[in-house]
Amino acid sequence: MATIETTGLTKQYDGLTAVDGLDLEVDREIFGLLGPNGSGKTTTVLMLTTLLRPTHGSARVCGHDVVERSARVRERISFVPQDMAVDIKLTGRENVRFYAELYGIRGSDRVDEVLGVMDLADRADDLVRTYSGGMRRRLELAQALVHEPEVLFLDEPTIGLDVAGRQAIWTHIQDLRRRGMTIFVTTHYMDEADRACDRVGIIARGRLVAVDTPRALRHRLGGERVSVVTDRPVEPVLAEGLHLVDGEGDRLVYHVDDAAEVVPVLLAGIATQGARVRGLEVQAPTLDDVFLALAGRQDDGGAFDFQRFRTMLRRRG
Amino acid sequence: MNAVLVYFLRDMRRWTRSHFNVYSTLIMPAAWLIFVGLALPTRFTDNYLDFIVPGILVLTMLTAGMQGGSSLIFDKILGFLNKFLALPSPREAILFGKILFITVRGLLQATVIMVLAVLLGATLFEPGMVLFSYLVLGLFGVLLSAFSTAIALYVQDHDSYAAVNAVISMPLFFTSSALMPYDVMPAWLRAIAQVNPVSLAIDLIRSFSAPPFAWSSLVVLVVLCMAMVTFSSYLFRRTTI
Repeated sequence: MATIETTGLTKQYDGLTAVDGLDLEVDREIFGLLGPNGSGKTTTVLMLTTLLRPTHGSARVCGHDVVERSARVRERISFVPQDMAVDIKLTGRENVRFYAELYGIRGSDRVDEVLGVMDLADRADDLVRTYSGGMRRRLELAQALVHEPEVLFLDEPTIGLDVAGRQAIWTHIQDLRRRGMTIFVTTHYMDEADRACDRVGIIARGRLVAVDTPRALRHRLGGERVSVVTDRPVEPVLAEGLHLVDGEGDRLVYHVDDAAEVVPVLLAGIATQGARVRGLEVQAPTLDDVFLALAGRQDDGGAFDFQRFRTMLRRRG
Repeated sequence: MNAVLVYFLRDMRRWTRSHFNVYSTLIMPAAWLIFVGLALPTRFTDNYLDFIVPGILVLTMLTAGMQGGSSLIFDKILGFLNKFLALPSPREAILFGKILFITVRGLLQATVIMVLAVLLGATLFEPGMVLFSYLVLGLFGVLLSAFSTAIALYVQDHDSYAAVNAVISMPLFFTSSALMPYDVMPAWLRAIAQVNPVSLAIDLIRSFSAPPFAWSSLVVLVVLCMAMVTFSSYLFRRTTI
């Protein structure tokens, strides 16, 4: 039995179908749900976290139905919405202790532990007002981890964070996954999903259009183009997986299925001819390309949320 | 620890850390007490301060209670509510914690007003009166906070909430028996004041020192209070899943 299972999961609002017949299995992995704004990502997460009742279909999390046994589901999951809701007038420790108390956890050991895990131990007694965006997000993760959930739902966990902040969040998420946690994350940062997720699902207009590893999805678009420039003319290197497209003097262009595998072979072949590589370029199809090919360009279906827009701008500033 | 208490303590901690909020809400009732209670030339009583103090206490609860819903609105807008709803603790605890917080905050403010009234020369507070005032103000606070949280659940943004609050609060106060007794009111005002729940609480406090004691009003207040809490929890359950 997978940790998350959905069958024909559907949500309609006043005739508008936000999520349409979602069939999905997620188990002990980082699963990324990718989609344009208004494609149904957040609606899906809200249904899985028992915050929204599905119109049709069903979903089971940790073996419990999200409607029939929602309280059971809530005992085993944690949900971090994208709003970054931490109490800025309280200290980091107070914010975490508040959740520990709501989960009925006694003593301060667990609180100290999760603050340590999220690298917040030395700032735990400062008011959250003084925390950076990245620290606030890590504080939310600490809150979410305090009861040792089996599944962690994260809605846009890196939105509005700087590069270092994003990287830290993903490192933590990957650590959790290594400890056996299932992580269900929505994002529209393709590069991050590509690097961190074990599998991704692409959702467009409420329908799941593809589910696979990021790598397999990229390969669906077909191969990569490798160009290499050498310091003197060389004979084209020929090997399995290297399809010569253009070879003229000091410039060789190949079409390959997997650059990571064949580029070393190519470089070795050039080196044996006594030439040196002056430039190498690999143009890989990115997840962005895959995404646009599969999901198309979808206009935001929902009403523009000014409050959220403003909050986002403020965090970026 | 009980989840209601955990939510209550969170709000108390946040409130007491913001000194401006703590004092600013006291300014209006204090101003009423000083500028109206001491200054208004009245003929129907020789101690207007004693007459107006129960009204100002109820006004303090009215303001605190009606503003209280905004705390829930902000939890809703800023995403706290969704996080809380995804927790395994009983969801109603969120609402009851809010009602408790709004009421206790109002009672603390009312305490400051009572002390101020005594300092200004009010003579009506003997121990029984103080205890009874707390009971009535507490019930009235629960009634109002259940009402204001229900509005907060219903409206979508803070501006609408503030608008509803403004439309309700002041008219309720001015059409009550806070500022003058029924027999000096114009007939049309008397008609409104007699059915106004604000008058109900004020008359109840006054009846303690001026018999006959208004048992029926106490019963009505308790029933109203229970009905409003039931309605608010019903609305809470309906809007949250």
